[in-house]
Amino acid sequence: MATTTATLSIVSPDLLPSSPLSISASSTLMKADTSVGLHMMESGSGELTVTASNGGVVLKEATAAGENTAAKVYICNKATDPTYYIQVKLHDTIMGRLYAGDWMFMPWSQGAGTQEDEISVEAEGGTCPYEWAIFKEGETMVARTA
Amino acid sequence: MATITASINIASDITDYGFGINKEMTMTKADTTVGIENTNGLGVKNLAATTAVVLELAADATASKASKVYIRNTGSNKAEHVKISLNASASADDTVQVIGRLYGGDWMLIPWEANGTGHNIVAAPSTASEVTTIEYMTFHE
Repeated sequence: MATTTATLSIVSPDLLPSSPLSISASSTLMKADTSVGLHMMESGSGELTVTASNGGVVLKEATAAGENTAAKVYICNKATDPTYYIQVKLHDTIMGRLYAGDWMFMPWSQGAGTQEDEISVEAEGGTCPYEWAIFKEGETMVARTA
Repeated sequence: MATITASINIASDITDYGFGINKEMTMTKADTTVGIENTNGLGVKNLAATTAVVLELAADATASKASKVYIRNTGSNKAEHVKISLNASASADDTVQVIGRLYGGDWMLIPWEANGTGHNIVAAPSTASEVTTIEYMTFHE
């Protein structure tokens, strides 16, 4: 069993008038409903270019095997121009914008079967280099056909 | 202008040669290098039923900016979770898009389109046999 630990720190000396802000969180990523670690990972990087139609590209399709699992997704916009951003969508719903240097980390339960649930990304402003990683449960491989 | 820094560290032995992510971001307003300076503070919800609830995020957040939302299931039970969804309205049963499940100890930090159609965030615990506690915070323009 693999052990994958995701740790977060959010700090600010001056957001709150009364005291510094400090949030810490750490989680070992497990398969759904168990204490068995997630044991598959996919990752990649690339460049998103602004296109005329700009419908974005699918970062990852949901799968039936992934439905209602405990997968986690990391995405980072590696652009440096503060006006360039990546719009992140779950199917037709806009989640938000990752501006230059921003990253996100979220659970993804892939509601395949009852809900279209792909993650898509699209660049706005200019070309955005990006990287991503998905930690997930195992998948049943597709049998080879003759 | 405030300075808010968020850091992520992911360490894994999922491969024999290991895998790691280390990234830090400073939260800035859209299209600028000026820091985000608004928050609704740290909220806490103790959920004793499986009924979905809409989180009270920042009602004054402007849509289509660089807002962020942090949510954590503060429990330790890896057999139960809270389902987080994007919602079309303030009605908790109007879920339009499930994001995913936060099991005990799990956290998320996502960009947020801000309130409005399709952008409310809803939490629905998987169990009523124990209290599920979540904490959440918004950083917004």
